[in-house]
Amino acid sequence: MAYKSVVAEAQQVRIAIDLIELGARLQLIQAETILSRERLLKLYKEIKGESPSKGMLPYSTDWFISWQPNIHASLFMDIHQFLVKNAGISGVDALITAYRLYLDQIQGIEGGEPVLSITRAWFLLRFFDADMLQLIPCQTCGGRFVSHVDDLHNHYVCGLCHPPARAGKTKAAKLCEAVA
Amino acid sequence: MNTIQLQEGIRDINLNYLMLAQQMIKEDRAAAIFRLGISQDFVDMLSGLSPAQVIKMAVSNMLLCRFRFDEQLLLNMVTDYNKDKLMSKAHTAILMSAQPVQELA
Repeated sequence: MAYKSVVAEAQQVRIAIDLIELGARLQLIQAETILSRERLLKLYKEIKGESPSKGMLPYSTDWFISWQPNIHASLFMDIHQFLVKNAGISGVDALITAYRLYLDQIQGIEGGEPVLSITRAWFLLRFFDADMLQLIPCQTCGGRFVSHVDDLHNHYVCGLCHPPARAGKTKAAKLCEAVA
Repeated sequence: MNTIQLQEGIRDINLNYLMLAQQMIKEDRAAAIFRLGISQDFVDMLSGLSPAQVIKMAVSNMLLCRFRFDEQLLLNMVTDYNKDKLMSKAHTAILMSAQPVQELA
């Protein structure tokens, strides 16, 4: 390995451990650290006790637009932008901290499930860097939400101010209500 | 509640607030900035306070922490309550993260 500094390497391992614990896919960790694939595989098995899942990563901007994912993605993205602007962190640090804070917010809600995985969150940031997605303000509440760059949105109203008629009324939600 | 009880209550909250803030900053500085809603200079000032300074600061009879929900936000929260509880909380968090941080003057 071209790596000389032991301290810097330890930091890279620390980042990799954080990402693995947050449930990141191997491809993400490979892109964000400079550790070799073999070392990451070993690390992954040691922490999770199993091999990392294989296959394609969820690569689609459309996922972030549908109702529930959009709210989760917007929450994560707003936290991320807050941190970049106010806390002076960036890159993988900002990803990890923002994702932890996102989990924090969701877990603080009764029955809340983290719909957005860290791998998706990472893709979200890359879509923003590539100018494929952007945050636009809702005309009603002023909160900022994820949307396609080339959409027409002069009078954008978010999915929380005007939820679609059947939003959140899934089979699972009905089952929960019946039990309660 | 008489004045003495009131002042005691304020002092308790001040001390709790300062100690919690210091703890949060020690654990994760960036996350503390988000949770507390204060600027980097502010965070550095708080984390630099010695225990004696913290106590001195806490015994002032003025509340040290400020209400963070401005009127529009509060209104949204209250009116959203009849909707999905989960979504109303997420909504609040989205609006809060758009708020500016409290700066050190």
